Amino acid sequence: MKQSRLFFSTDSNRLFLPWMSMLMGFIAVLILAAGMSAYDSITNWQRVVSGSLTVQIPTYTEAGDPRGEVVNREIETALTILRSSTGVKGATVLSDSQMTELMIPWLGEGAAVSELPLPKLIDVMVDSDHYPDMAQLKTDLAAQVPSAVLDSHRLRLEPLLRLSSGGIKLIGFILILLALTASFTVIYATRTSLTAHEHIISLIHMMGANDWFITRQYAARNFNLTFMGSFFGLLLALPIMAGVSFLIHGATLDFIWNPALDIKQWIVLGCVPVGLALLAFVTTLKTVSDYLKRFL
Amino acid sequence: MSTQTKLNAPVAEFNGVSFRYDGGPEILKDIQFTLSPGSFHFMTGESGAGKTSLLSLLYLYHLPTKGRVRLFGYPVDEMARLDRAKLRRQIGVVFQDFRLLNHLTAFDNVALPLRIAGVKESEIRRHVSELLAWVGLENQMKTHPPELSGGEQQRVAIARAVINRPTLLLADEPTGNVDDAMAKRLLHLFLELNKLGTTVVIATHNEGLIRHFGFPRLHLDKGHLSVVPQNQYKEMASKLFNRGGAQ
Ligand SMILES: Nc1ncnc2c1ncn2[C@@H]1O[C@H](COP(=O)(O)OP(=O)(O)O)[C@@H](O)[C@H]1O
Ligand SMILES: [Mg+2]
Repeated sequence: MKQSRLFFSTDSNRLFLPWMSMLMGFIAVLILAAGMSAYDSITNWQRVVSGSLTVQIPTYTEAGDPRGEVVNREIETALTILRSSTGVKGATVLSDSQMTELMIPWLGEGAAVSELPLPKLIDVMVDSDHYPDMAQLKTDLAAQVPSAVLDSHRLRLEPLLRLSSGGIKLIGFILILLALTASFTVIYATRTSLTAHEHIISLIHMMGANDWFITRQYAARNFNLTFMGSFFGLLLALPIMAGVSFLIHGATLDFIWNPALDIKQWIVLGCVPVGLALLAFVTTLKTVSDYLKRFL
Repeated sequence: MSTQTKLNAPVAEFNGVSFRYDGGPEILKDIQFTLSPGSFHFMTGESGAGKTSLLSLLYLYHLPTKGRVRLFGYPVDEMARLDRAKLRRQIGVVFQDFRLLNHLTAFDNVALPLRIAGVKESEIRRHVSELLAWVGLENQMKTHPPELSGGEQQRVAIARAVINRPTLLLADEPTGNVDDAMAKRLLHLFLELNKLGTTVVIATHNEGLIRHFGFPRLHLDKGHLSVVPQNQYKEMASKLFNRGGAQ
């Protein structure tokens, strides 16, 4: 006879805990996966954006007429001003093919970019440690190239970055709530089982079983039940993650949110069942040893 | 502190012990007695006199409300939890209501104290089978308590209490559900253990047994305990009979 059979002849925990932990493992995996990939995407934007600045030179007048040769002269002047400013590491004009690539997410493959009234874009690489004096740069450009528009991605992305880091905090908060819910579930299930088995526990206690003899059986069992449940939760989450990833790829939205995970992140997801099971283990130990204090 | 039995210390020592259940009346009043090692006592008293309660102080289920209980020389109220657990392993109890676990077989019920003590499975198999055969249950080892008769259940309960050769054996009306022949046979089992050094206390109403074996008795009356030495049991018994017999 296995020792674990001492207590658990009939026990609602046997179904309740695995189901609950499957649900929680499932949610935790999805939320973690979303959080980690979103975090990656945000740091990626930040990296791309924090070191760059663009200057636009319109190729059409506001009335819609081509501005012609003047555009090229303005580009040359702007490049000269930019390259001589402190904090600027380099400035290059984007070619038509680079422009086409940039527009793919918005216009789709094969769009005839050259026929659109798009401005010329100068990509300015800045030294993020010595960020150029934007006001000075603006005045300098306005003096010699009045049509130029200075655009800092940093400023435009700021609200978006704030939104995303808020989102990450929210995910952290949800994970904490989830862990708390898991703990409460384990406490509830354990207390129910303890009450149902009070006659057995009191008998075993009277026969001289020390607390550890009883707590470890409960804790080990709840560890197993929770691990099993949340492992199935993890398995269940995988096709959903694959589906979401497929949809994002299909919509070519990867540049906003790339759902791919690296090996470390997969390991984190793999740790979800172990983590939940450990949480159940510790919670059970505490619950059972508190309960046993009622016996002399 | 170790729970090694203190050499020559009384097995149990009650000093001015009173006991009441939460909010209830005082059930045991100023109780004073000593159980010396290797002694054999009957415990008598009408139903509700407090026999079960007194035993529960002896098997460390309750602490006295007043006074002090010492077991094997140690005050139980001052013992560490782990030491109390160790001490309990030296005490065998036959509960009045048996307290067998219905989801375990007769064999596993009897094996329980050994498993708690961490005895090897091979030894458990040998000892438990032997003992169950001795109490006449060799064919019911795989049977679960609900399928056993009252008397059979009682024998399983007794086997469980004595399986690990306790230093102190407490039995709460252990022969209530068996015929006289079986009662004597079970008493002989307790006697065997007693000869090996186990201190025995048996709560019983069975006047026949008390008379037959003639051990001193701890008599409870309205919460007060009196110790009746061996040679006075006959007089005591006749008094009880005059009052309509013990319950
Ligand atoms: N768990 C309990 N809670 C409150 N009162 C109890 C409890 N157990 C027994 N009693 C009361 O204590 C008194 C003594 O009971 P008990 O020790 O069982 O006597 P006996 O075993 O001699 O019949 C009785 O009046 C009984 O009602
Ligand atoms: Mg009783």
